[in-house]
Amino acid sequence: MGSCRTAATIFGALALSLAGSTLALAGAETETVATTMTREAPVPSVTQDMLSGAATDTKNNLHTNLNYEQTRYYQGKQINKSNVSGLRPAWIFQTEVKESLETTPIVVDGVMYVTTSFNHVYAIDAKTGEQFWHYKHKMGPVTTYCCGPNNRGVAIHNDKVYMGTLDAKLVALDAKTGSLIWETQIADPELGYSETMAPTAVDGKILIGTNGGEYGIRGFVRAYDAETGKQVWNFHTTPEDSTGVWATHDATGKDMHRDIAAEKAALKKLGDPYKTLGGGVWQNPAVDLENKRIYFVVGNPSPDLDGSIRPGDNLYTDSLVSVDLETGKYVCHFQYIAHDVWDLDSVSPPILVDVKDKDGKTVPGVIHAGKSGNVYVHNRDDCSLIRFSEAMVDQTGMWTLPTPEGAKMLPGANGGVEWSVMAVNPDLNLTYAVNLHQPMTYHVESSPYPGGKLWLGGAFKVIPDSEQFGNVTAVDYNTGKIKWQKKTPLPMMGGALATAGGLVFTGEGDGWFRAYDAENGDVLWSFHAGAGVNAPPAAYAVDGKEYIVVGAGGNTQIDFKRGNNIIAFTAD
Amino acid sequence: MSRILDWALTAMLFESALIMGGGAIAAEDIEQKAQLCATCHGADGVPINKTTPVIWGQDEGYIYLQLRDFQKGTRKNALMEPIVAQLERQDMYDLAAYFTKKKWPNLGQPSAASEVAVKADSAASSIGCRGCHLEHFQGDGTTARLAGQWQEYLLSQMLAFRDGSRGNNPGMSDLMKATPEDDFEPLSKYLAGLQIDQYLGHGR
Repeated sequence: MGSCRTAATIFGALALSLAGSTLALAGAETETVATTMTREAPVPSVTQDMLSGAATDTKNNLHTNLNYEQTRYYQGKQINKSNVSGLRPAWIFQTEVKESLETTPIVVDGVMYVTTSFNHVYAIDAKTGEQFWHYKHKMGPVTTYCCGPNNRGVAIHNDKVYMGTLDAKLVALDAKTGSLIWETQIADPELGYSETMAPTAVDGKILIGTNGGEYGIRGFVRAYDAETGKQVWNFHTTPEDSTGVWATHDATGKDMHRDIAAEKAALKKLGDPYKTLGGGVWQNPAVDLENKRIYFVVGNPSPDLDGSIRPGDNLYTDSLVSVDLETGKYVCHFQYIAHDVWDLDSVSPPILVDVKDKDGKTVPGVIHAGKSGNVYVHNRDDCSLIRFSEAMVDQTGMWTLPTPEGAKMLPGANGGVEWSVMAVNPDLNLTYAVNLHQPMTYHVESSPYPGGKLWLGGAFKVIPDSEQFGNVTAVDYNTGKIKWQKKTPLPMMGGALATAGGLVFTGEGDGWFRAYDAENGDVLWSFHAGAGVNAPPAAYAVDGKEYIVVGAGGNTQIDFKRGNNIIAFTAD
Repeated sequence: MSRILDWALTAMLFESALIMGGGAIAAEDIEQKAQLCATCHGADGVPINKTTPVIWGQDEGYIYLQLRDFQKGTRKNALMEPIVAQLERQDMYDLAAYFTKKKWPNLGQPSAASEVAVKADSAASSIGCRGCHLEHFQGDGTTARLAGQWQEYLLSQMLAFRDGSRGNNPGMSDLMKATPEDDFEPLSKYLAGLQIDQYLGHGR
């Protein structure tokens, strides 16, 4: 099969500090970005109606987390408990990049889009695995990221796909050809900003946050115009008054042992730390289309372990936050851990689902799984906490303060639930979370802001020879009780997919990809993928046949075996 | 190197640095300008001694940040400071782009013995070295390649991060302080002995 190369020209990738600037491509030159195209992808325009109706669309997978509510609940039943034992690979696509793989495939009318580490994008035939095109981002020399050169996928809207890049850009590609249409420099990578999350497309806007909580950034969530790449609004996740209410206990009522008097003295001396306070947002927001609000979680304060130079609650780090979809204006927030000094922050994307409130009345809710190892259930109206679940992991010693020599505490700094996406089965009122058990010591060491360099304020250290493992846990969000829990040999990172076929799919770092019975956790099917399955699964259908798809490429952060496979499964 | 030689080299490099400075380097001059770097870092990519790092094939963003930090004074080095003093930002980018394209030299350092490798791997896993330096310690962007670097240089830098004498990366200092001192020797031997050519070229 012949191949051709399409080219677009862009301005030099070395352009400095172009925060908020869009590089128009017409007439520009100096560097060439090439897309390798085998043939044009036969993809239709993706309308807002299609995006809004994704929850009941069993043919396409239009969102990283399946729908705006982020339930990751696929309503197809063709693959179900009765036939999942016969699930087998339909095809395997191998990418050029054998490195950490966290992408969720997006599927539109038989065309699949996947991304890899280092910002490659592939359009492939979702029925056969054949490649349509391959886009390789021209990366700038300066990239700052803490935990692997990851990317979690594209967003799609109309005739374009969108991706955030490690060098802190947002790029728009032609969905048919992979040609670069525009790119916007979101922030300066030399100051610690980078992009790994899949953007969210809604109402003509592309929503994206930022990484950088390990580099002393000032976090944000932004909306960009889907057609032009111009910024529409910006919400800073660390307000100019970040002090809060001086909370001494966490969301579950545990004493965090804060020295409020010392912090107040530090505030007087140092001022508010909001400019370098971190607060990255690197997972998708949930979108409440009816009320035109988005809900997202904000990551850790910078520096991670040293609270002495960032007095106050460090709002809105470690929080659920809602802002107005049209304006980016603050609506409400709930902080789980004020003045976090353990990096046990909020990463796993929130999910919109109806829940029972404290009086047993059904209300619009938001649920989130924390690195603490609890699932939190909120009222969507005001972000208030309705309940929290039983602990899904050992929390021995929580919240022991870090020391220079290192203090042991559980969970370790990866959680609990890391960025791993949960999935919900609304018929069972269950949410499925994957957890880590990694005993660590927490070390504190104070140092001033280093200007875009790694800034941990200490170290979290896995205790050598300690037993590590993981679990898959089903939590009833109407009671907070654990319905079932299955232990896994390795800590879990990636995420889950639930289906109306009564199944839950999730992968493990040693290469196993499994289907669980959604009701009781029985393992109904397993497949060894040859490399860590640390990407969230998805589902779709072509010509009436359902597929389950997942990436098997391992993980940089916890060093699981690398690979480069996208694997699609069918049950016939 | 003796202190006298050190001073003599500093003086020579400072003089040369005057030639290098004073405006962005034209593309056609880059080869000529890089000759100055070759004085210590080697005309064939092999440095003149084992405490001078390999920069051929080093990650581009990392080279740029080190030049920047020498100029800002956040990384101290009597030889490098006068050289970078007059560089403009674009010069640093150009030099980084020039050297990153060169092939990393094989220094012929032996692979670590298995017991050394096991100890090194345990130390690296404990503080998550591969989280930034990646699976084969090839680094990326502003994170340094460590694989195949001089063992003596690696050891000296880990210790310098630990005692604060290399102060341009507090995160690294914190990680080195959390690492037992007897892990440094095995770590440096293990990293120095890695040959990773087969893994390069499939990322950015």
